[in-house]
Amino acid sequence: MLVTGIKSKPVYAPLRADTRGHYHLMLGKGMGNVALMRVLGELESAAPQALARTRVLLIPAELSATPAAVSGPPPESPAAAPPGDFAALGLEELRVFTDVPTLLRDFRALLEVALMGTRLYVAGPESFIGLAMKIALEFDLNKDEIRAEELGTLARRVYCIHCRTTTEEVRTNIVRCMDCGNWLLVRDHYSRRLAAYMGVMVDAEAPGERPEIKEVFL
Amino acid sequence: MSAVFKPHETYRNDFTFRNTPEAIRRFPLPFPEDKYMYSVNIEPHMPGAKGSVVEFAFDVDEHYVAECREREIVLAAEPLRYQALPHMMSSQWDVLELIMESLARDYPAHFSLAKHRNRWHWINEPLGIDQEFTFGDPASLPREPLDFITRQAQGDFVVMDQREGDLWAEAGMVTTPADWSLDFDIGMTFKEWHGPVPLAHELGVFDRALKFLLNLRLGQPVRRLNWTMTVNPRLDTSPENYPKWGPDRATITKENAGDLVHLRVELQGLWRLPRSNGVLFGIRCYLISLRELSTVPKWARRVHRVLEELHPALVDYKGLSRYRDTVVDWLAPFDDGAPTTPGAGPD
Amino acid sequence: MSEAQTLEVEVTAIEQVTPLIKHFKLSPVAGGSMPAFSGGSHIVVVMRTPTRVYRNPYSLLSPPHSLDSYEIGVRRMEESRGGSHFMHDQVRVGMRLEIAHPVNLFALDKIARKHLLIAGGIGITPFMAHLEDLHSGRVPYELHYSVRAPEHAAFLPRLRERAGERVRMYYDNAGQSIDFDGLLSAQPLGTHVYVCGPAGLIERVTATARDCGWPDSHIHWEQFSAPPVGDAFEVFLARSKVTVHVPPDQSLLESIEAQGVEVPYLCRGGVCGFCQTRVLEVDGELIHNDHFLSDADKAKRNTIMPCVSRARCKSLVLDL
Repeated sequence: MLVTGIKSKPVYAPLRADTRGHYHLMLGKGMGNVALMRVLGELESAAPQALARTRVLLIPAELSATPAAVSGPPPESPAAAPPGDFAALGLEELRVFTDVPTLLRDFRALLEVALMGTRLYVAGPESFIGLAMKIALEFDLNKDEIRAEELGTLARRVYCIHCRTTTEEVRTNIVRCMDCGNWLLVRDHYSRRLAAYMGVMVDAEAPGERPEIKEVFL
Repeated sequence: MSAVFKPHETYRNDFTFRNTPEAIRRFPLPFPEDKYMYSVNIEPHMPGAKGSVVEFAFDVDEHYVAECREREIVLAAEPLRYQALPHMMSSQWDVLELIMESLARDYPAHFSLAKHRNRWHWINEPLGIDQEFTFGDPASLPREPLDFITRQAQGDFVVMDQREGDLWAEAGMVTTPADWSLDFDIGMTFKEWHGPVPLAHELGVFDRALKFLLNLRLGQPVRRLNWTMTVNPRLDTSPENYPKWGPDRATITKENAGDLVHLRVELQGLWRLPRSNGVLFGIRCYLISLRELSTVPKWARRVHRVLEELHPALVDYKGLSRYRDTVVDWLAPFDDGAPTTPGAGPD
Repeated sequence: MSEAQTLEVEVTAIEQVTPLIKHFKLSPVAGGSMPAFSGGSHIVVVMRTPTRVYRNPYSLLSPPHSLDSYEIGVRRMEESRGGSHFMHDQVRVGMRLEIAHPVNLFALDKIARKHLLIAGGIGITPFMAHLEDLHSGRVPYELHYSVRAPEHAAFLPRLRERAGERVRMYYDNAGQSIDFDGLLSAQPLGTHVYVCGPAGLIERVTATARDCGWPDSHIHWEQFSAPPVGDAFEVFLARSKVTVHVPPDQSLLESIEAQGVEVPYLCRGGVCGFCQTRVLEVDGELIHNDHFLSDADKAKRNTIMPCVSRARCKSLVLDL
């Protein structure tokens, strides 16, 4: 079965300002905030009045290192794009959060009142992007209105296809499903609806024979 | 034509599924020549030869009752094998109409459909269903329209919405998949759900197929064949149940290959739907054991050659790695090197 | 699409609904129902005269759930090549016509959170069918209908009956015009805009929507304009080995069809790309009038949409 090289795997690109948009809504986590700062710089040069129609929701870098990392990327520099830099920009609104669920809750509330002409920018770890996109789907925002850049950990959300439980923060090629206990191969097949990659039993054909566990999504 | 049904055949546990000689002769071999590679290979789904699997829009064969019972077993354990997103209701009615009208027209000995304006009366004699309902009113049926009708048809069904220049898989009944999951894939676009297929993307197969399907017209359905192999006549080779059927792949020996290894062919039909402007994708599955296949000398030679030369990426993707060589060995004595006639039919 | 896929219908009613628009009811010849269709679909009506064959697309305006007959509205075009004049002047109740099965290139987006419908003149017709689907759903919508004067507002009683206050009328002769900017800058996320009517209206709506930041995927338009006229020219069809003369008032597609050669088509208006044909040789200039090919494709000079495009050339060879 194909594990890698799957065309449903999301592809990200460095964030660029979309000056055809009228309103701009930006979500950032950790190192993603550096990308947002860059985009805001581009917006300011291209259309200075755009910043007054831009809202930013972010989780700062020093709060986003996760304790569960076995070994991860080097700790994010707390000096990279601190909230204070954003506050100085004359944005329509800046909100700073300490956790993802609250940020996403506020994000959904903003989408309820947002207008056509809005562009969404998301930057940060892939799982953060996936959860934001899942909400954006409910509002019929499509790929022409959303830009996303992956920065920070590649740790994945993995959907166990056998018991339908999602395991968070998976950094390894094989992971044990925390609900049914099956050892799962983490594939590149991705569902935007579930915001997760597929995990399928790795040793069904030869029970007990598992490939070496490697940290690949760091 | 009325089929004689074998209602107690099983596709699990004791696997009593077998093909009669008639079923073997009409088997849709997917190999018109001695080698195989992907192609778009779409053709109009026009009424085909009498007695063939493409004589009618939806083929009902000797396995009909047993296969419907197998579907009920899967759904009882896993209801999420049937899903439909909320905006797909008009396409559900389109599919119900298409299947009911086709079955009643093509198999009048088994199915009947009477309409008085919106009041419809459907009788499915083999399954013992007698249902009056109001077309367009979901409350007048015991289940959602797509759920109701696909429990009475062989094969899997995926219903796609057409928008933004793409096709989106947003409803389906999938209990006989060749290793893919509706629960995981629902909501995906055409190229996303075909993501796991190797090579075809690079060949541009899906770009051309998508372009063609976006212009699919009412009254002009198309069909193609797809294939893989399965150990035991098991229809439910879903990723969900891989722990159950995965181990079978490692049990094949030269002695048992003839009876356990099955060629699994999908007759895929695609219809434009009238009220929803969606597209119905029907995946009708046919199974034949190597032993049954070898009773047709041309097929034994051909399948031997196709499998021997199959591209490694396809061997892997179709899950044949563990037993391909054993199957090739099993078929070898039937292949004397003689030329085979072109086309897939038996001589 | 080949001629074999046409249906025969009988004209069972004709009504002059505005000074310029006639309403036709088409019923099945063999009894029973017309084929089901989705709102926004059009049919191509085949009109045969002793001198030529017209194939004109018209939106179905009848309710999709009511299949005893199809209804279309035809505007009498001032500079007509004949199709609309034929419909207005020659067609009588009881006559039989051939029509192609419905095709939908202007469907509502099923996951939209709001639909904004903008119609001009005869462009109201596809929205009549859409309103039936919208009426039974829960998604909010608005219809903005602009006409020259009240006597040109086709089907207004039916519109009011279906959509009530959600229809807003604009009369040119009273100086009322749609505030495109105001409308398009104030719509909630997930709104789709649909426009059908004269080219100028479509241009205004699409340009304003883009200026307001709408992505193209949320902007839908349909236009049934007659193929542009031009100088006569000759074409050679390489596979059929036939020379085709294209007169000024007949399109390349119509001229090819008149020679008995079939070209697949869906919209006949240069939008869907279905009739795209390979150009094998051209000594002169291709006049691309379509909306399908990119500028780059047009510049390559190896492809053409015969339904609306023409040529000014010494020779033109097509792969047909």
